[in-house]
Amino acid sequence: MERILEQIPRFFTADNMALLLQSAGLTLAMTVAGCVIGFGLAFVLVYLRQTPGRWALPLRVICVAYVEVFRRIPFIVVIYLVLFFIQTVASNASLFTIAVISICIYAIAYTAEIIRGGLESVPLTQMEAARAMNFGRLRTLVTITLPQAWPVILPPAIAFAVSFIKDTALVSQIGVFELTFRGKELNNQGYSGILVFGTIAMCYFLMSFPLSMLGQYLEKRLATPRSEQSARKIRRT
Amino acid sequence: MNYNFQYGVVWDNFGALMEGAWLTFQLGVFAFAGGILIGLLCASIKTYGPWPLRLLVDTYVVFITNTPALIQIYFLYFGLPELGVRWSNEACVLIGLVLNAGAYLTMILRAGFLSVRKNELEAGLTLGFSVVQQIRYIIVPHIAKAVYPALANFFIVVLVMGTSVGALIGVDELTGQAINLSSINYRWLEYFSVVAVIYVVLTFVASVGLALLGRWAFRVRVRIF
Repeated sequence: MERILEQIPRFFTADNMALLLQSAGLTLAMTVAGCVIGFGLAFVLVYLRQTPGRWALPLRVICVAYVEVFRRIPFIVVIYLVLFFIQTVASNASLFTIAVISICIYAIAYTAEIIRGGLESVPLTQMEAARAMNFGRLRTLVTITLPQAWPVILPPAIAFAVSFIKDTALVSQIGVFELTFRGKELNNQGYSGILVFGTIAMCYFLMSFPLSMLGQYLEKRLATPRSEQSARKIRRT
Repeated sequence: MNYNFQYGVVWDNFGALMEGAWLTFQLGVFAFAGGILIGLLCASIKTYGPWPLRLLVDTYVVFITNTPALIQIYFLYFGLPELGVRWSNEACVLIGLVLNAGAYLTMILRAGFLSVRKNELEAGLTLGFSVVQQIRYIIVPHIAKAVYPALANFFIVVLVMGTSVGALIGVDELTGQAINLSSINYRWLEYFSVVAVIYVVLTFVASVGLALLGRWAFRVRVRIF
């Protein structure tokens, strides 16, 4: 215990804090890049999954299988598969790229379900009306379904991205210089584990907590239509 | 891409992988069971307890759910020995996962507790139900129905995401076994692709089992896909 107290002034130096800040930035960058790209690709997956017609059956099966399989494999296994696969294909890929690709692969599987749920929440009559007006599938999606589905899709998608900040800790295993890796490094340098991992946990908390609060606020804000919001305000006064 | 897949080595060591899968399953079940106990306790405190205890539970839930499970386990594994508490790596993973699952299950179960409506209890009272009968016929079926799908889902999360974290501090569960074996002969892609398939099969069996259990015990329909 005295050892920990004695280490505190040596641990909280400007240098160490700058290192931690930098690694926290890398953690955030990885999460944002992976989740944003994954979110975009998940739209493509959902679009392909809804392709009508018998000839598209294999395509639909592949899309369902992708989602089901990657939701059942641990993230660490995905990381290892991507790492060694990419290294046999392109041996000079950076570890950061590999991390982003694995996050992407994982994020596609999870957000595809969120997007599908959102799109299915739009009443069927809307799509039928669009078809009656001879809208194409893509045009229906962009101009009819998506504007109505956003409030349902966005909050859980943000919640997923925020919760993924924590899961990126596993990427430390392949040697990306993010927060957890820094923690292990500092611990190996002889700083007390309680001090180091307590601080690292606080760093994650400071990133994750405000963002999850923001997500909850957005959910409340988006979930209730304008008319109800004003009605609630009137009731409150 | 010029890479020769050689699955021969993997089949030779398939028994070791299966042992790992068994340990994964055990860890998942025990972590989930422990988490349920903590979750039930904390959710009842949050619903019925006095405010200092509620505040304590809130802090626990907020801190655990906003930090990575890996860091919590590292804290137990690398941090606690400095205070003279030494646990084996399996114990660290199990205790870490129980604490982690407990926080998430508190949130899930709390939502279930809130779903019991007061007028239903009053209706039970009017019919002359005793407290035990109220719990047996009104509260438990209600909570079970509201919470079971989320619980089944979370069990899969613990079984997959949770236990695989153990590999990073050297527990020989499925992922850990794969890392050990493939660092002997560098057949990483082969080992990890087989491990991925084992995970898919394991969780699929678990999902089907839970869906059947839910239908039989609580008459809840759970989606497998």
